[in-house]
Amino acid sequence: PVVQPGTGNNIIVNPCQRGNPILECVKNVGKEFGDIVVDYQVGRTTGVLFLSLRYHRLHPEYIHQRIERLGHAYNLRILLLMCDVTEHQEPIRELTKICLVNNITIMVAWTPEEAGFYLTTYKQFEHKPPDLIKERVDKDYPTVLRNALTSISKVNKTDVETLRTSLGSVAAIARASSDRLQNLPGFGQVKVKRIKDAFEKPFRNNT
Amino acid sequence: MATLLSFHRDILEEIHDPASSELLLIARGLGLRRVVCKLLQIYDSPQNLVILVNASQEEESAIGEELGIMGCRQPGLRIVAFETGKKDRQELYKKGGLLSITSQILTVDMLTGDLRTHLITGIILLHADRVTPTSPEAFIIRLYREKNTAGFLKAFSDDPEHITSGLSPLRTIMKELQLTKVHIYPRFHQKVIDCLGRDRSVLQLTINMTEYMTEIHGAIVQCMNSTLSELKRSNTNLDLDDLNVENAYFRSFDVLVRRQLDPVWHKVGPRTKQLVSDLATLRRLLNYLLSYDALAFHAYLETLLESNTVNEAGKPRQHHSPWMLTDAAHIMFEFAKRRCYTISAPKKMAPEAHELDDQDAWDALDEAEGLTGRQRETVQDAGAKRPHWLPANIHPNLEELPKWSLVAAALQEIEEEMIRREPKMTFRDPGTNTVLIMTSSLRTAQLLSEFLSSMDPDAPQGAQGRKMMEGKLRLYLWWKAKFADQRKDGKGGTDGGRTKGSFAPRGGPNSFLPGGDEHLSEALKKKDRERQERAANRRRVRGGAPTPSSSTRGSQPVPAGDGLAHPAAELESIAEFLATQDVFMGQVDEDLSRMDFGPDFDDNYGLVQPEQTVLVRAYSDDTDEQMLNEVQPRYIIMFEPNLEFVRRVEVFKKSNPGLGVRIYLLVYNYSCEEAKYLSGVRREKESFERLIKERGSMLMPIMEQRRSEQGESLIKTISSRIAGGRKELNTEPSKVVVDIREFRSSLPSLLHASNLLVVPVTLTVGDYILTPDICVERKSIPDLISSFNSGRLYTQCEVMSAHYKQPILLIEWEEHKSFSLTTIADTKSFVKPTGKFPAKKRPAPGAADGANVASALIQSKLVLLTLTFPRVRIIWSSSSYATAEIFKDLKTHQAEPDPTKAIVVGAEEDPDAGAGVNSTAEEFLRSFPGITSKNVKHVMAKVKSVRELCELELSQVQDILGIEPGKACWEFIHRGDAK
Repeated sequence: PVVQPGTGNNIIVNPCQRGNPILECVKNVGKEFGDIVVDYQVGRTTGVLFLSLRYHRLHPEYIHQRIERLGHAYNLRILLLMCDVTEHQEPIRELTKICLVNNITIMVAWTPEEAGFYLTTYKQFEHKPPDLIKERVDKDYPTVLRNALTSISKVNKTDVETLRTSLGSVAAIARASSDRLQNLPGFGQVKVKRIKDAFEKPFRNNT
Repeated sequence: MATLLSFHRDILEEIHDPASSELLLIARGLGLRRVVCKLLQIYDSPQNLVILVNASQEEESAIGEELGIMGCRQPGLRIVAFETGKKDRQELYKKGGLLSITSQILTVDMLTGDLRTHLITGIILLHADRVTPTSPEAFIIRLYREKNTAGFLKAFSDDPEHITSGLSPLRTIMKELQLTKVHIYPRFHQKVIDCLGRDRSVLQLTINMTEYMTEIHGAIVQCMNSTLSELKRSNTNLDLDDLNVENAYFRSFDVLVRRQLDPVWHKVGPRTKQLVSDLATLRRLLNYLLSYDALAFHAYLETLLESNTVNEAGKPRQHHSPWMLTDAAHIMFEFAKRRCYTISAPKKMAPEAHELDDQDAWDALDEAEGLTGRQRETVQDAGAKRPHWLPANIHPNLEELPKWSLVAAALQEIEEEMIRREPKMTFRDPGTNTVLIMTSSLRTAQLLSEFLSSMDPDAPQGAQGRKMMEGKLRLYLWWKAKFADQRKDGKGGTDGGRTKGSFAPRGGPNSFLPGGDEHLSEALKKKDRERQERAANRRRVRGGAPTPSSSTRGSQPVPAGDGLAHPAAELESIAEFLATQDVFMGQVDEDLSRMDFGPDFDDNYGLVQPEQTVLVRAYSDDTDEQMLNEVQPRYIIMFEPNLEFVRRVEVFKKSNPGLGVRIYLLVYNYSCEEAKYLSGVRREKESFERLIKERGSMLMPIMEQRRSEQGESLIKTISSRIAGGRKELNTEPSKVVVDIREFRSSLPSLLHASNLLVVPVTLTVGDYILTPDICVERKSIPDLISSFNSGRLYTQCEVMSAHYKQPILLIEWEEHKSFSLTTIADTKSFVKPTGKFPAKKRPAPGAADGANVASALIQSKLVLLTLTFPRVRIIWSSSSYATAEIFKDLKTHQAEPDPTKAIVVGAEEDPDAGAGVNSTAEEFLRSFPGITSKNVKHVMAKVKSVRELCELELSQVQDILGIEPGKACWEFIHRGDAK
């Protein structure tokens, strides 16, 4: 009773994936079985192949067959790799090479939950604009300040608090002398030097 | 100039031969710098090119100075750093002599051929203990030995405790440095004992801590103990032997714990992570307790509490540090405060004032002003002793560190001694009457000199620094008021737009007169919020830190229980009080500005005047030795025990015979100070013994000649793509174009180690170019998170996709750390630590909500990235070793990249591509609002440094950035400015 894939809001699952534990972990989106080349079709142009490294160790030829059958279908082709062995370095290296040649993107998951989460997210984000990962500006002052100052290494959030309460503004921090900074609780020579470097060393040496 | 002792000469005789290469391990304080400087002096000649590697900036300048004193002035030691231009560097290399070069620059110059490797006479490497297979120093030595087998390499280290990693740590270092000879000179070496003797003539003065300090000390140790046992309980697989409180005194303890936990770091919960970082905090506290004055310590505790109760988003935090909820912590906070001041149960007016707190703001202010008037009167009644700026219900306690009076006593004794000795002294006797006081940090030094200058010698013990402490209390109260203000500020901000707190200090009460109904409702809302907040506070305090423990303490009655239970209320009352005193604020501002100019640099560190009799300095490295020789003190007070310095004084004494040096060592009884000192001595001894044992049984590494497998690499380059089985040799070696900024990571070194030719250039697009088509952007995990948050990764992928056929994102984990994405919730980020997958917890109805939380996760951002850029591939690499393998794999049978083309790609917009970049400052600048990855280069071209940007006027910033972003940026910089 295999049906043709629909176009709705469901993830279409290849019948060969029946019994895969990650199916249990796909939450919040519908699933339906359908006749497709890949294992999971999570969007009109997105197909996912699933491979567990443990299985790969036993049947190294399996993934090649699947990729071959894939041909040029789908715009975004994902190989969802379940990293469930400790000796992962070799197989990942080899798979990276194969995937690069065949225009496949690898995503690595470590647990079935994580793998299920990836599938869910791919479906949910199918039509989502990339605003989430673009530059944003709408943050409140304390967050931006903390973000900015902690980008200097050795400065932690307690220090940000100290700087803010005892000096006030960023401009005041910029003006403060090393001795003044050194006097603040929790500030040693190294930290003060890092802060001074960030503020006062020139961006470029124009030579 | 420092004279050489007999064992110094022995060492030099052994190692000075320029034909041999060796490693010298020496105990700290025995004068490593003398040896290095002497050696440099021996090699100094325009015909030689000797390079000093791995010296910190301070060391560079100190060594340069000492060499100048020793007589190699023209040109002496030259320093090559990031500011030195390419042309200047080439000039310097040609001229020869002594050069000190940063590792990164040296690597790049050796690779590009600016520095002819075969012309180097020798390399002197400091801090050999820091060398690991992936460190830049190992890379330098590999490059050096590849083309130059005749030159020498002298490696030095005075930090044997550091050489501990792995099975045979010494051998690893020797192998990386390609050395076969090692000399070890501990303090118990026969030659050293022969020279310095065994005795340590130190006058040890011990003193008890004050009652409060003892209590706090005990409480901190108790907290450490409970944190440790908690840690052991939650991680049964830890190796427990090394985890004890004694070890926890040292900073290396963190490394120890992390090394054990790293492989399973993704499995341990946030609780364990919290515990590990708590231990570091507690250790710091222990240190600060003994060195900070009471007020600074209390202020630090308060800041700690504040930053611990709110999370990144400004909301109450879920995971409290467990130690903060213990009885001991309560004692700690309680007594720390009581060391500064006590708040009495408010007299006649005050009970009302507390209720009034809940009333509308203008009421409270009016009342407060009335209150002040009366307070002033009572103050004047009470007599002149009480300063006018002190709120009435605060009784200053102002406990001083007991060591201060001990120092005063010691100074008195020294003075008497001087007078006694005076008649016997002749002009020609060595030494000066300068008293040298050594402290553990610059901060302590400053505090102590402040104390000494304002000391009242007639006052009873423990009150000699009253004047200074009062000044500090005043600053503290001012700080606290600001703190309260900013708390409000922050809260108002998160509530949406209501940024101004109710106390505008200068406006006076009139400005708070209600404008209309809207105002009133605002105030009411505010009142409600404050009440809630207070209720929350009360619950936390009552539940968390049990009050009974304090009330049962009969001997020390708890003052004003109510006031204590509301830190927020207390803050506010102080703020209110101060708000009514305009004069006071002005004064403090003045004080502050004066403080900035405060102790002049020259006063403390410039040339020492002979008549200046007391000199306070902080322990530093080998520079102390030079200082001792310059000052020639007869009396030394060591404010804190320090093993290195004791040795330095021994060496100093030996090299100045006839100078009777008297040393006083101040130690607190039953404190961690003593334990720390003793276990420090033991640790050093043990590590030396271990190293000597290892040297005895070490298998000497045989240096293999690199690039011997020429044949193999030839076969590799035979291209099988050429049809017809025609065998054509591609003689060009396999190469990778690498961005110069990437040389901070270990990957270029490993690529070179796996026989790839590394070509350093400044790239605008990507970090590594493998083939004409493949461009790789490398991200370590913290990088990945931050660049997702800043949106930088999006732009980078955009540019890569535009210029290359196969853009690749490389996600690289650190070696030995757990290879999993879940660890990242722990690193510096705004990813919420709400379990791994919110979807699991939430039922279907809350799907939208669940998706919201999920969108913060790194995984979903990765998903979105691949959806947006279907051509971007991802490489998942568990370590840089794995990456090197993968890169090699990807390069087989592919065309070689062209560096000149790679530089040009995407570089059109960058006016000065190829110049050196200060990446910290750039990163910092990027995080300012209004500055995006598009305009950041423009900004950097317009202003020189962040400091310069901070000094610009609003209109100037707007000229650079445009109206809106310029305003945002300027307001960010100047928010909270004192007008």
